[in-house]
Amino acid sequence: MQFLVNPSDGLPIYRQIMRQVMDAIAGGRLRSGDRMLSHRELSEQLVIAPLTVKKAYDELEALGYIESYRGRGTFVAAHFPKTKQAAVNAQLHESAQALLTQAYLTGLRLPDVLRIVREADQSLTNGPTPRRKENT
Amino acid sequence: MTNPAILQFRDVHRAFVRGQPVLAGVTFGVHEAEVVSLVGRNGTGKTTLMQIAMGMLFPQAGSVRVFGLSPTDHPVDVKRRIGYVAGGQALPGQFRIDEMLAFHRTLFPTWDPSLEKELLKRFGLVGNTTKIGKLSMGQARQVALLCAVCHRPELLLLDEPAAGLDAAARREFLETSIQLLNREGTSILVSSHHLNDVERLGGRVVLLDNGTIRLDEELDDLREGYCVAIMPEYSTTEAALCQLPGFMRTRVVYGDWRAVFRGAPAEVEALLASSLGITDARCASVPLEEFFVELVGGARAESPA
Repeated sequence: MQFLVNPSDGLPIYRQIMRQVMDAIAGGRLRSGDRMLSHRELSEQLVIAPLTVKKAYDELEALGYIESYRGRGTFVAAHFPKTKQAAVNAQLHESAQALLTQAYLTGLRLPDVLRIVREADQSLTNGPTPRRKENT
Repeated sequence: MTNPAILQFRDVHRAFVRGQPVLAGVTFGVHEAEVVSLVGRNGTGKTTLMQIAMGMLFPQAGSVRVFGLSPTDHPVDVKRRIGYVAGGQALPGQFRIDEMLAFHRTLFPTWDPSLEKELLKRFGLVGNTTKIGKLSMGQARQVALLCAVCHRPELLLLDEPAAGLDAAARREFLETSIQLLNREGTSILVSSHHLNDVERLGGRVVLLDNGTIRLDEELDDLREGYCVAIMPEYSTTEAALCQLPGFMRTRVVYGDWRAVFRGAPAEVEALLASSLGITDARCASVPLEEFFVELVGGARAESPA
């Protein structure tokens, strides 16, 4: 997969990598068992420090999204961390409410929000496209 | 880190004019396989520090140790294990590239011809016999980097290596540095005004301000453990902000306070609300460049000394 890092983003580079890996897994662009680039490969591809890649991978591994095996490399995890469905639903409900509040206060209506959600789904599936710089 | 630092500054002082210290007590170290970026405004002593590490200048008080040795007492033992590239550094212009390399090859017993060949190829300089003085700035810097790394130094001192280079040349230089980091595990002390390059190199950031260290933090901790709060000027006073824990500095920009705090954005937002009743402050983690400007940029309001 192709990563994009931007040093002047509000997020530190290791978090940008984490987010893109999680986006790619969520969007189906990375699947269980897919091989990840090594620290060195990704570091040289993105021109960032190898320790930054290591930090991103370590955090992703701690969260259960990737697994690394000595001598074999790093792979997308076979099973993703199980969380209680009820807790996830509650959290999503809260996020959705916050999203709708923000939208309604700026005069958008439900169909507009659904369109935006669909667009977001597309970009998860299709991978990063250059988009407007987020406010930091 | 438990290993002793391979480069250690201890309470280093240096002035070039009596009563106007350039360095006024600087203490920090660079450990094995570590990258440390030295940042600070022009004239804050970055180059002076590098030159002290190279043994080109004495500290007037305090000490510097490189691999445990004094660089002025053991210049050969120290220089053999260091590579040095400075932005303003001039390799003698009357020599040709191949002559310059041949000269360095005889200087260093650990010179690695295969690395030399590889870098010459990467930089497109194979068989090039141009005089150094006739090269473009980018190519001259590449030759300087070649001369600095082919003896496989354990410590690289890069003093504004990117100064005056275009964006593409800077990126090539950075690519080579990253590859060296990957392959050799070289320790690097680099000073730079290109803070995006500093973000790419990662590691630790040491901010020099008026000859002293203002901040010494891991880059990611700096990015996530500090924030800038923006709130209208009428909402509070500098005196009130100064009282808050974690406060570092504030200034007014176009009618807003911009205050730098040690603390994550959410914590600082909560702190401003609970202590000063400010509920409309916007707190955000910012890239290194913004952070730098807020911390040492031109100010109407200075933080207390």
